[in-house]
Amino acid sequence: MTPDESTAAVIEVRALVRRFGERAAVDELDIELRAGECLGLLGPNGAGKSTTVRILSTLLAPSSGSVRVLGLDPVKDGERLRARLGVVPQELALYEHLSARENLEFFAGLQGLSGTMLADAVQQGLALSGLAERARDRVKGFSGGMKRRLNIAVALVHSPELVFLDEPTVGIDPQSRERVYEMVESLHARGVSMIYTSHQLGEVERLCDRIVILDRGRKVAEGTLAELQRHPSVHQRGGASLRFAAVGEALRAQRLLLQQNLHSEMQEEVPDLERIFLDLTGRALRDREDA
Amino acid sequence: MKTWVLAQKDLRVYFRDRIGVLLGFGLPIALCTVFAGAMGAIGGGDGVGRIELVVEDGDRSDASREFLAELAKADGLRLDVLASDTQDTARQRVAEGNAPAALRLGPGFGAALAAGDDLPLTLYRDPGKTIEQQILAGNLIPAFLGALGEGAGKRMSKKVLDALDFPLVGRERAQTILDLSWSSMEGLVGELRAKGELDEDEKTEGASAAGAGTEAKSDDAGFDFAQGVAQMLGITIEDVVGGDQHAKEQKIAQQAQSVAGMAVMMLLFGLIHCGGTLLEEADSGTLDRLRLAPGASSAILSGKFLFTWLVGVVQLVILFAYGGLVFDVPIFRAPLALFVLSATTAAAVTGFGVLFAVVARSRKQLEGLSTIVVLTMSALGGSWWPLAITPEWYQFLGHFTINAWAMDGYQGLFWYQKDLLGILPEIGVLAGIALGTSFVAWRLWERRMRV
Repeated sequence: MTPDESTAAVIEVRALVRRFGERAAVDELDIELRAGECLGLLGPNGAGKSTTVRILSTLLAPSSGSVRVLGLDPVKDGERLRARLGVVPQELALYEHLSARENLEFFAGLQGLSGTMLADAVQQGLALSGLAERARDRVKGFSGGMKRRLNIAVALVHSPELVFLDEPTVGIDPQSRERVYEMVESLHARGVSMIYTSHQLGEVERLCDRIVILDRGRKVAEGTLAELQRHPSVHQRGGASLRFAAVGEALRAQRLLLQQNLHSEMQEEVPDLERIFLDLTGRALRDREDA
Repeated sequence: MKTWVLAQKDLRVYFRDRIGVLLGFGLPIALCTVFAGAMGAIGGGDGVGRIELVVEDGDRSDASREFLAELAKADGLRLDVLASDTQDTARQRVAEGNAPAALRLGPGFGAALAAGDDLPLTLYRDPGKTIEQQILAGNLIPAFLGALGEGAGKRMSKKVLDALDFPLVGRERAQTILDLSWSSMEGLVGELRAKGELDEDEKTEGASAAGAGTEAKSDDAGFDFAQGVAQMLGITIEDVVGGDQHAKEQKIAQQAQSVAGMAVMMLLFGLIHCGGTLLEEADSGTLDRLRLAPGASSAILSGKFLFTWLVGVVQLVILFAYGGLVFDVPIFRAPLALFVLSATTAAAVTGFGVLFAVVARSRKQLEGLSTIVVLTMSALGGSWWPLAITPEWYQFLGHFTINAWAMDGYQGLFWYQKDLLGILPEIGVLAGIALGTSFVAWRLWERRMRV
């Protein structure tokens, strides 16, 4: 990857709006994804995450705004774009009466693979999902974790340049979740650009380079975890509080106060992503239906 | 109290699904309408199912016109008097399956009637249409007796005495006794009719009872009964379809009708279910995954069509192979025509199935809609009973269904021994239905797939 490519925007979204009747599911949204980057999309239910993913993956047209994905317009160039995208949907979109291998073969064939390329892609998919030994078994008999892994493998079978993962670890055990993380990390290491939506803040913290927090269809914050920790809306708890620009500065300040014989019980508090998330989006229940 | 609370909850849930409620209440109403319509219960006597009798008047005398006018009064008959005088026309109508029976009054009918001689009457029948023949017999006999007046009874008495080879010594006395009995009976009938006691229902019931009674005797009993009476009246009967293997062919025709009727109905049910896999794809999320494959959006619907059509063709092939093996349905008489007709029928049904799957928004909607439409089409189209016994308006509506055209085609092949060219009209209509429904489904699908 050349320096130019690494900084080039894979996704550029400007003032994106998507309305369902009167309701704006996505409202004046700006997002940018750089090549090889994993961008986390966080937000409460109904924040507009899935709608955004559907628009970016050509399944839904925006009401207004500008969207470029891999340099193409998802509405006008949908056909050209689809072959370069991999989408892991929130639901398990698999044929339960087919085996793991048959599912992979079917979707690989649909993506235009054939012959040796198809066979290799299927083998890689089975290996990636850890299902090589159960390749001939019907999906119907798989555990939730196995289905989730296959759901991801199917989306990756044609080696897409850009991958959307919409809450890929919902309802699975820690072992399977760990395997999914490894799959995502392996993609990241190969320089595949990704958008990852989740409610599991820990996994976003672990897997994503940058995080965009959405609420009510709008972007409320964006940046790396460290940048979000310094966000003005992230409050300190109890007593008097001083805000420092960087982690560790509070300790230096405490040493200075002690040197001056000024009594101090200063404690550095580093907010985690969950704190940041709740501070930025509030604690009120969100029952708005996510489109 | 809890019972009421639970019932209240169920009522609330039930009525919340408005389309489900509509279909739930609509289905019985639709079926009642269809059944009632078929049985002529709508609009009183005018709608009663009448059997078409093609009539050709080769005499064109006052007597023949008077006779036909009397015959036309029969409640169970619908006379279609031909303008042309060629003998082949009436016969042809029956031979081609366009009418269950035809009556020809030959030249000299009036003179023979006046002289008490044998009447030059020929009844052409399609023996494959047994139900129609039984109803026809039940209506034709009293109609003839009424139309021929007192002479009919006397004519029959004479024939009976001839058949019994009655000794000449007492023949005149016997004839007088019988004639007096006929006169008394006719007087009684006239009296009852004048008082209105011999109402429509009694007559209809009598006709049905005649049919049912004859049916009980044996498979062909109704036929023989009609033939016997017709012979006593001096009518010549000619069965114009079926050839030498008459009884066997007749049975085959009935079985072929049943097999074809049920095949089309079951095909409708089965293929609409197949079309429903489109909804399953949407529900399970695989539809979006399919849409994400390049160039797949338009192929999704054609793929479903192909799959459903193939299932339909295989279903029909298996069903007719079974019919051939077990019921002697003549599947090898015109195998190419049978295959083309089955393939087109399957295509028409597939078009319907796919259209329903595109229109319905949920499996529940699809099931409700398809149940109403399939049962209504099957009843209207003749899958359950021959269309010939239904009112004219019913027969007209029936030909807006796949069932009627498919069954006409199969009957043409199995009974009227038509070839591929002979059933081209039916194939054309079925292909038209397939194309029309598929086109509408495709347009709706395109609109739905537009991002």
